[in-house]
Amino acid sequence: MKDSQAFDHRPDPELGAALRAALDPKDDHKAFVARVMAQYERALDRATVPTIDVLASWFRPGIAAAAAALIAGLLLGRTVLAPAPASIDAAMALIDGPGLAALVTASDPPDASVVFASLVDQR
Amino acid sequence: MPTEAPPPPQPPASPARKGSSDEDKGLVAKTLAGDRDAFGTLVERYAAQARRVARAVLGDPDDADDAAQDGFLSALVKLVQYDTRRPFGPWLMRIVANAATDRRRRRNVRQAEPLDPALVGGGPRPDAAAIRSELGARLRAALGELPERRRMAVVLFDVEGYSHAEIAGILGIPEGTVRSEVFHARRRLRTLLADWKEQAR
Repeated sequence: MKDSQAFDHRPDPELGAALRAALDPKDDHKAFVARVMAQYERALDRATVPTIDVLASWFRPGIAAAAAALIAGLLLGRTVLAPAPASIDAAMALIDGPGLAALVTASDPPDASVVFASLVDQR
Repeated sequence: MPTEAPPPPQPPASPARKGSSDEDKGLVAKTLAGDRDAFGTLVERYAAQARRVARAVLGDPDDADDAAQDGFLSALVKLVQYDTRRPFGPWLMRIVANAATDRRRRRNVRQAEPLDPALVGGGPRPDAAAIRSELGARLRAALGELPERRRMAVVLFDVEGYSHAEIAGILGIPEGTVRSEVFHARRRLRTLLADWKEQAR
């Protein structure tokens, strides 16, 4: 046995043999091998997943990814394509003309011709 | 002219050392092709090692055999993932060690096997077989007191003959940590072994 204080990069045969004897199974080695081999087909059967299940497992994340991409695309599109909100002054400046007074002061909803006339005035 | 010192004694050959790596790879290829007997040969070759490693983790021999069996069957299912450029033994032992660790967690297996009171002392003078059995029981108990990773490291190194680098791969820890774990485990176990030899005189 070697000095217990030293790092040794080689296995210790004496300690190894003692541990081996302590851990070695006492029963028949062949019985264990037979026991494992008895489960051979069963293990392979369990491991064989039906193709449809594999496709379904691929399909589910695909749907989730597509939905997430669609939502992200819609949100991005709305942000990019939406017109910038105009200020009220800019809007009033556009329709400033003879028809404006009629539009602003009328108590009833304006006739379509009035609105049209105010727009024509701007042209 | 001084003569050269004799080479140090070699550790007992383990499948990791004696087993031809090419032979293992051939058996793996045959197993993947559906050859049941090839897998049987792999099991035959590594059964003792797998059972010892599992027992180092679990203590109880029946639990260890269950874990070793789980490990072999898990390896069979995962065999397609095995990288044939690497040795088969460490790959298999990693799966067996994981199976044993999982089983211990699931069943909350006790850390150490209790010593048989008749073996601790006070009984009649034991014969040689009983003395060996007592040492085995003490070693198993001492192993059981070590942290799990430490006992796996020392068993893989001193019993199975794997290198520090291979054990690092099996346990998923740095090589330096393996060296440290082996050192601390040896210190404890060697003390116990020396005490036992002293008492046996």
